[in-house]
Amino acid sequence: MSFLAPAALIFAATLPVVVIFYLLKRKRVVRLVSSTLLWQKFLAETQANAPFQKLRHNWLLILQLLLLALVVFALARPFLGGMRKPSQLRVLILDGSASMQATDEKPTRFDRARSEALKWVDGLTNSPGGGSSDQMVVLLAGANTEVKQSATSDKQALRRALASCAAADAPTRLTEALKLAETLVQNQANAEIHLFSDGAAPELGEFENKNLPLTYHRIGVRCENFAIVTADVRANPDDATQRAVFVTVANFSTNAQSTELELRFDEQIVEVRPLKLEAKQSTPLVFAVNQPRDGTFRLHLTATDDLAADNDAALVSLLPQPVKVLLVSRGNRFLEKALRAAGNVQLSTAASLTDSAKAFDLVVLDDVQPVEWPEANVLAIHVANTNWFGAWQRVESPGIVDWKNTHPVLRAVSLDNVQVAEALAVKPPPWAVALVDSPSTPLVLAGERGQQRIVWVAFDTLQSTWPLRVSFPIFVANAVQWLDPAAARNSRLNLRAGEPFRLTLTEPAKSLTLTTPDGATRTLTPSGEGRELLFAETTRHGVYRVTAGTNDVRFAVNLLDSNESNLTPRDELPLGRYAKVSAAAAVKANMEVWRWAAAAGLLVLLFEWWFYHRRTA
Amino acid sequence: MGQSLLTPDLLHRLEQFQLLAARRAKSSARGERRSRARGQSVEFADYRNYVSGDDLRYLDWNLYGRLDRFFLKLYEEERELPVRIFLDASESMNFGEPRKFDFARQIAAAIGYVALCGFDRVSVVPFPDNPAVTAARGALRAVRGKKSSLQFFQNLHALTAGGPANLNEALRRGALEARRAGVAVVLSDFLDPAGYESGLNALVARGFQVNAIQILAPDELAPTNFGDLRLVDAETGAQQEVTFGKFRLKSYRQTVENFIQRLREFSASRGAHFFSVSSDTKLEDLLLKQLREAEVWK
Repeated sequence: MSFLAPAALIFAATLPVVVIFYLLKRKRVVRLVSSTLLWQKFLAETQANAPFQKLRHNWLLILQLLLLALVVFALARPFLGGMRKPSQLRVLILDGSASMQATDEKPTRFDRARSEALKWVDGLTNSPGGGSSDQMVVLLAGANTEVKQSATSDKQALRRALASCAAADAPTRLTEALKLAETLVQNQANAEIHLFSDGAAPELGEFENKNLPLTYHRIGVRCENFAIVTADVRANPDDATQRAVFVTVANFSTNAQSTELELRFDEQIVEVRPLKLEAKQSTPLVFAVNQPRDGTFRLHLTATDDLAADNDAALVSLLPQPVKVLLVSRGNRFLEKALRAAGNVQLSTAASLTDSAKAFDLVVLDDVQPVEWPEANVLAIHVANTNWFGAWQRVESPGIVDWKNTHPVLRAVSLDNVQVAEALAVKPPPWAVALVDSPSTPLVLAGERGQQRIVWVAFDTLQSTWPLRVSFPIFVANAVQWLDPAAARNSRLNLRAGEPFRLTLTEPAKSLTLTTPDGATRTLTPSGEGRELLFAETTRHGVYRVTAGTNDVRFAVNLLDSNESNLTPRDELPLGRYAKVSAAAAVKANMEVWRWAAAAGLLVLLFEWWFYHRRTA
Repeated sequence: MGQSLLTPDLLHRLEQFQLLAARRAKSSARGERRSRARGQSVEFADYRNYVSGDDLRYLDWNLYGRLDRFFLKLYEEERELPVRIFLDASESMNFGEPRKFDFARQIAAAIGYVALCGFDRVSVVPFPDNPAVTAARGALRAVRGKKSSLQFFQNLHALTAGGPANLNEALRRGALEARRAGVAVVLSDFLDPAGYESGLNALVARGFQVNAIQILAPDELAPTNFGDLRLVDAETGAQQEVTFGKFRLKSYRQTVENFIQRLREFSASRGAHFFSVSSDTKLEDLLLKQLREAEVWK
């Protein structure tokens, strides 16, 4: 128990005044009676029975002293503090992720977190001099971490900062916020970090050994949620004239639930599919749809649950255009067949490349050093470029030790039985990731240099067993799809919330108009000589529209994060493999109790009034 | 005058009563009470041997015929019963609505009237001394006969209450003054700081049949003054500060009840009758019911 305004305790000096009043003689009404004998006996008897005889006459005095003490106590603004030590700096981190919009706490988890944080603001001790006041920082960890209020002891500013916070539709990114908090508390002896979150925060491993003074305030009570956790639109693998919408719907509730999934294309209902899902189950769904034109697919779950943001998904789908591929090769039947089989490919072949091949979407360089390197996307096999790698050597029969089939280029590709006779050995460049590794060199790289996408294979496929394997045509098809600039553009049109939107304009523009899902418009200025737009505030899910002159682009922002949709409040926040932070058992914020003291004072006042009248009336 | 104390109807009904005394009358004067003394009456008591000089009229001739010896027949002598009424005329009796002193005088008049009708000697002993009491004292002594009742009532009516009383002293003196013991009636509120025990003991020891009647005002039984009070004793001038409210009424009544109960037990242990009445009790209820049931008279 400490006091926010200890100076008010000086009013306790009024207590003796009451006693002095009592020491003064009370004015009594004089009455003549026949005899005081009975009264003496009466007083003697009642005194003998009553406990605290000496105080018996002074119950009123005691009540009044109690009343006054309570009032002084309330004026001193006492608070019940959970803290053993005073903290000079507290960093409040509000989790502003999508799951904090859940309505299991009323009105939402985020509002609950905010009110918890406000309690801490209320409990901030401020000494009148201001010298040793405690300070607080408010961080909002949404898609990006925002410093809502830098260190201050001004409660009004802190309250304003908290009031201006809002949850976004983005997944939790606590790492950034914790890093910022860490730097803030680094040189402070008594600093604390308070995280108000539901704990849906993966990847905090880097704080494992930091020994952060972190207190985790768990928000949320239950998990009652249906969610669209993945959504994608592609060419239908069974029927090339159709599009396939792939959806995964998950039920994160603890009991079986049923709902309906609506699929619309440009506001027209295409299909409604009823769903029944067991607890904690998810199911993949595929809709085969005829798409007459470029447009937007919208998915909607009709169930009412705690989190609305993940019940909708929008997919901007452009009709596929044939990919114009130039194969520069001295003759490679395997590669040529694989390219033709990749589907929707207009293949041209050449023995050498002398111009920059502007007419093509994709150039395949098969062991042919071009005179001029193409500007289009490149699948380069056994050719190297000093701009890419600097220098390189040769290496004999490198063994394949690892490959990343999480990358779209290696999707469904297995390199188990592939032997390579000879390869170029390079250092992995910063612009690319190694997809296939040998002990001495990466064998397949994929990356992006500026606007150009490159897949680089270190060895001549004809000098390996790869073309004889099933994985080769799959790899080629994947590579064509990944290197197809239209596909790349399309994939950029469907974003996760919080991801920045990047748009390359076909013609330069001075300004662009952006319409957000809620209908608000904003004017943006493109960078890079008016050819590139970067927009990062994709915090709301829905369809955004960018217009400038002939450019009219729509892009969709979706949550699509099973980690966020799983609303189960986590009791522990794992920091890496071994460390963890348990939820604070109780609210340890300083709780001001002057209201209670004042209420008790009022009760005592009422009682005193009643008692006074009872004994004299 | 008599009407102001007792109604004619009540007087008429009181004439039927007769004071009862557990002890035989010891008075020397003749009256209508049985006594131990032998004398002339119709009530046979005993025989004794004839000695010369005895009145021959009382010889039992039938016995002489059978035994050839003289026996004298003895008869009980009927004597009067002295009734002493101790009337508290102190200042405290002036209180109450109706006044305690008025009520006490009414009781004194009623008992006195019953005694006068029974040819008993009635003495009213008012205490303490004040001018009115001193003036009437002689006239209230040893009144006999029904014809004196009017004068008796007038004298009673002339009494006023005032001054501080000493109940013990008054009773002790009254007991000593009495030549013969008889019936003693004590009319008082018994609110004497010095107590009542030695006075009542003195009466009982002197051989009186004691009837103690305590008269309390309704206001004393259930006070109606509330608040922070300074109470002044009308007799002693003593002051008592008290804070009183309705919530303490119950414990006050308990105190009064305890006081009355102690008095009642004290009286019972000494073979005395005890009555406690409020001054607003109906006189008929006390006289015709309570005293009769307690066999003070029949």
